[in-house]
Amino acid sequence: MTGGDGRSDPKRELWLAWYATVAFYSLYAVVFFVVTRTQPPGKPWYGPVEVAAWFSGHHRGLLVGFALIFVLGGLSATSIALITYSIRRMSVSRAFAYSYLILYAIAAVPGFLFICVAMTVGAMRPGRDPAVLRWLYDLGFLSFSGTMGVFLVGSLIWMTAILLDQNRVFPKWFGYMNLCNALTEVVVAPSWIFHGGALAWNGTIAWWINVVVFGLYTGVFITLLRRMILREDFGRGPLPDLAPTMSGPGEAAAEVAAA
Amino acid sequence: MRRITGEQVIFWALPLVAVMWLAAFLLFPGFLPPMSPKWSAARVAAFYRDHTSRVRYSMVLFNWFCVALIPVLMLIVERMRGMAHRTPVLRYCVIGVAGAAPIAFLTSTIFWLLAAFRPDRAPSLTQLYNDLAWITFTCGIPFLVAICVFLAVSIYLDQQDRPVFGRWVAHFNVLIAVALVPAGFAGLTLSGAFAWNGLLSFWVKNVAIAVWILVMAVVLGRALPRHHEGLGTPA
Repeated sequence: MTGGDGRSDPKRELWLAWYATVAFYSLYAVVFFVVTRTQPPGKPWYGPVEVAAWFSGHHRGLLVGFALIFVLGGLSATSIALITYSIRRMSVSRAFAYSYLILYAIAAVPGFLFICVAMTVGAMRPGRDPAVLRWLYDLGFLSFSGTMGVFLVGSLIWMTAILLDQNRVFPKWFGYMNLCNALTEVVVAPSWIFHGGALAWNGTIAWWINVVVFGLYTGVFITLLRRMILREDFGRGPLPDLAPTMSGPGEAAAEVAAA
Repeated sequence: MRRITGEQVIFWALPLVAVMWLAAFLLFPGFLPPMSPKWSAARVAAFYRDHTSRVRYSMVLFNWFCVALIPVLMLIVERMRGMAHRTPVLRYCVIGVAGAAPIAFLTSTIFWLLAAFRPDRAPSLTQLYNDLAWITFTCGIPFLVAICVFLAVSIYLDQQDRPVFGRWVAHFNVLIAVALVPAGFAGLTLSGAFAWNGLLSFWVKNVAIAVWILVMAVVLGRALPRHHEGLGTPA
């Protein structure tokens, strides 16, 4: 698929980032659904004793699964970088690309590092006071599903860029699909209030519908990024032997424009 | 007289910042030797009662200066512009993790400071803050690992006659990434090499970070442009 040998394939960086994206999302799904079994999430109405039992039932999975995220979680940056690159290819201001990059880069700490830390701390001392364990349980699940604004605004930024774009880097229908993803972050807000029912963090709306939309959205954008790379035309020539030695603001822009 | 470039200012601030990091590291009473995860809640609470001031001073210093790594990482990102890449995607990868790496550490300083804020609270709660601090500090490596991996790939792909960084710098980054990996597993055990105070999770990991900063500073210093010319028009 990547075609050509390493030296002459002008798309090699894009393909590496794309394969790393696929690897990251596969790891992510396996860790959350299979290894840690934190998706579907635990019950928000659990009392301290039930939470303590939940932690002991998930003990090894939590520690091993989140250790894998501690080691490999930074690969998430590859999809952010590819999407940022896709926005740079669009006929819109660079402000869109940089906004997307910064929003998703800072989302990593509250969006997935917190759940890894909270669940690891909870699992590492099974004898801890159950009331404290429930505090960690809430921190883990709510920081994970309740870090909303970054994905809300980030999706809207990407959507707006796609809808304004004249280069047709992404189809317009995918622009509207970003709106669906943004809406999942709206309907998850009540999970900060409700302890049970459709709007709680494990409920039909706040979890089941959201996870289906997010899964579809992710699958679609990974496929569309692949199509973008396939369509990218850098010509067949070898890489430049001498890259620009030093670039100021003007030259940097020219470089990206050429890419 | 030659003018000093902005990049040189950032670069030569690094030794000063490194002095702050070293001072904070030595000042924190729980690093030499590292606190054991096997301490009882009562002993952890006693530690914060006995060393309240030193915990506060050291962690305020870290809180102030740990993020000073970001401008140095941006100097590396600027050097990546000179690499024989066709797209900026690898640069975006590094930028994408450059902020989160020190912010993860900053988060651990907040937990340490919280532990020391009310030393007379229930010991189980002080132990909770202490655990959160140590796990965030020890296991919060995903972005550092990623920086090393992204840099290694970038350097391997910089195939030109005079590459920005030598190929050995790529091998070196792979080695550091590998040295950081065991720390991610620190939650699995309270004793031994993988525990947060163990040989791998504390000593190997932190020495690796220190060596990485030192070596990358040297190669970065060599790759910095010496003169103003060629820097383009001043913005």
